[in-house]
Amino acid sequence: MKYSPTLARLIEALRVLPGVGQKSAQRMAFHLLERDREGALGLSAALADAARDVGQCRRCRMLTDGELCVICTAPARDAGLLCVVESPADVAAVEQSGGYRGRYFVLMGHLSPIDGIGPAELGVEQFEALLAEGGLREVILATNPTVEGEATAHFLGELVARRGIKASRIAHGVPVGGELEYVDGGTLAHALAGRQVIS
Amino acid sequence: MTVRQRVLLEPAWLLHHRPWSDSSRILELLTRDHGRVTLFARGVRRGQSALKAVLQPFVPLSVSWSGRADGGTFAGAELAGECRPLPPGRIMSGFYLNELLLRLLPREEAQPEIFGAYSVALEALAGPGGEQEPLRLFEKLLLDQLGYGLDLAHEAGVGEPLAEDRYYHFRPGHGIFRAVAEPSPGSAYLGADLLALAAGRLETAQALRSARQLLREALAHCLEGRGLRSRDVMLALRRLEGDE
Repeated sequence: MKYSPTLARLIEALRVLPGVGQKSAQRMAFHLLERDREGALGLSAALADAARDVGQCRRCRMLTDGELCVICTAPARDAGLLCVVESPADVAAVEQSGGYRGRYFVLMGHLSPIDGIGPAELGVEQFEALLAEGGLREVILATNPTVEGEATAHFLGELVARRGIKASRIAHGVPVGGELEYVDGGTLAHALAGRQVIS
Repeated sequence: MTVRQRVLLEPAWLLHHRPWSDSSRILELLTRDHGRVTLFARGVRRGQSALKAVLQPFVPLSVSWSGRADGGTFAGAELAGECRPLPPGRIMSGFYLNELLLRLLPREEAQPEIFGAYSVALEALAGPGGEQEPLRLFEKLLLDQLGYGLDLAHEAGVGEPLAEDRYYHFRPGHGIFRAVAEPSPGSAYLGADLLALAAGRLETAQALRSARQLLREALAHCLEGRGLRSRDVMLALRRLEGDE
């Protein structure tokens, strides 16, 4: 089916979204134009604003409007605790867990030597500046439990330990509500290696 | 023309993976009987995919696929036997080996010796021994198997066996030449060190240093001057770890 140029451009533009193919893009375009013109204008304005104004927090590299993000400026946050994650989505995930009250540092990736992604790309200089500021009690390395994530955590852990700050790694293991029988061998091995004494 | 084929549970190592579309990956594998293989793996990045835990580098795999080896369709993978993970501090060395293979190994050429040597090198890296020796031995075997073989026991041209106490120069692509004058330190290799590398027994720090230097020259020649990214990253990491 051939669409008018403007409609075709909208459908093509919607396909930049993850998980959106030709068919879904078409459905979204029709929905916006047929039923929700106001929503469409709101969306286009929000997109334009965000693409122009959202940058990275100067301290933690989280996506934010101003110089500093809301977490870095919140006085209720524990400034002695820093959680290092790979992406803004990971910040959202940890926040949702509700159990963490410290600050974050977002690497925007992990070490990937074959792709040429090294310390400079991960903002390690900024990370070191945070460590040098002082006042940190513990740095929690919450990179993903992949080989690349482990390598990243190990390297950052050494930098942290060198300054006499406690470095810890998140535990990996059996999901809550899971059954051992269906857990893969690698995860189970980690769960066994990281077992805890019942006190 | 490449033959379309189905391959079932082929022993393999994952060398590299790249994201592809929303939920899929492109896998670069080293397999025992089909050499280097590139596969498209659909859906393996989805949240529920059990393959995420399996498709990791430095883990022995059995992989199935169909189609060509330079862009076939991934059909499945499982862990092949026990896996001893690389200690976190040695993962970079593992990536270095992977990049060497990605850069130097031609696709779709069975290289069981290289497959075997890679397995041995990873096992040694995961073990309690030194980190340097397994890397050097793998580099040497890789060069030998790819046809860049070095005769490290004889002088090039004349074929005379090396003397342990003499000094020699190495010219990539040509071989070993006797140093005529008294060489300045670091510019020539001691015969004993070259013989140690030829025999695959790098027992002293001096022999390891020489082997590292010589193999680096030989590899740079094969890589035609294009540097290795993993080496750059490793150097950057070391600079940060080393400062202060």
